[in-house]
Amino acid sequence: MTQEDLQTLQVDRTVDARGTACPGPLLEAKKAIGTISSGEIMEVLSADEGTKRDVPKWAGKKGHEYLGTVEESGYFKIYLKKG
Amino acid sequence: MAKLCIGLFSGSLDKLTATGVVLSGAAADDMDVEVFVLLQGARAFIKGNENKIDNLAEATHLKEEFMNSLEKLNVSTWYDFFSMAKEMTNVKVHICSLAGKIWGGEKLDDFNDLVDDLCGIGEYLTAAEQADIHMFI
Repeated sequence: MTQEDLQTLQVDRTVDARGTACPGPLLEAKKAIGTISSGEIMEVLSADEGTKRDVPKWAGKKGHEYLGTVEESGYFKIYLKKG
Repeated sequence: MAKLCIGLFSGSLDKLTATGVVLSGAAADDMDVEVFVLLQGARAFIKGNENKIDNLAEATHLKEEFMNSLEKLNVSTWYDFFSMAKEMTNVKVHICSLAGKIWGGEKLDDFNDLVDDLCGIGEYLTAAEQADIHMFI
């Protein structure tokens, strides 16, 4: 997905994990994905560099689709579609 | 589901925290985890000791910096990491019976809520043999 596509995505669930370091965001993502349905979109907000690589890899292993990452100032947003 | 086996020898705050972070990753991945608590590690799991552990195994002269950073970064306590991981995935904590005795823990009741049972060394080695990943901390 292009950055523009990501910015205009209809998000079903937002997880704001900017207050925690690794492994906080991964755990919060894991908990939150259990609350949405297959095909729904979740965004994870984080400022932790490790998370930027961890969440997409974790999603791949768990059968969720990684749609892309958008950089904001001081944090980033990772988009996933639940499998 | 991948199986993770941890031999937790250390009862120091830094290594307990490291173990907690690893457990969190395992929980996110739905792994089956068995933690075998050996010798010094068992002291941390004696009921009431969880908040008394304050020694480091590594870089002991930098303890203040380490502790301040953990707080600033909002890192969970080692106890909370274990607790959270146990809620999220199948984590069993076994105390080596010799280790327990060394620190005054004879029965399951002498240990905190994280502990599932007391075991012998044979069980640890069998679990390590059957695990996909084995760590000794």
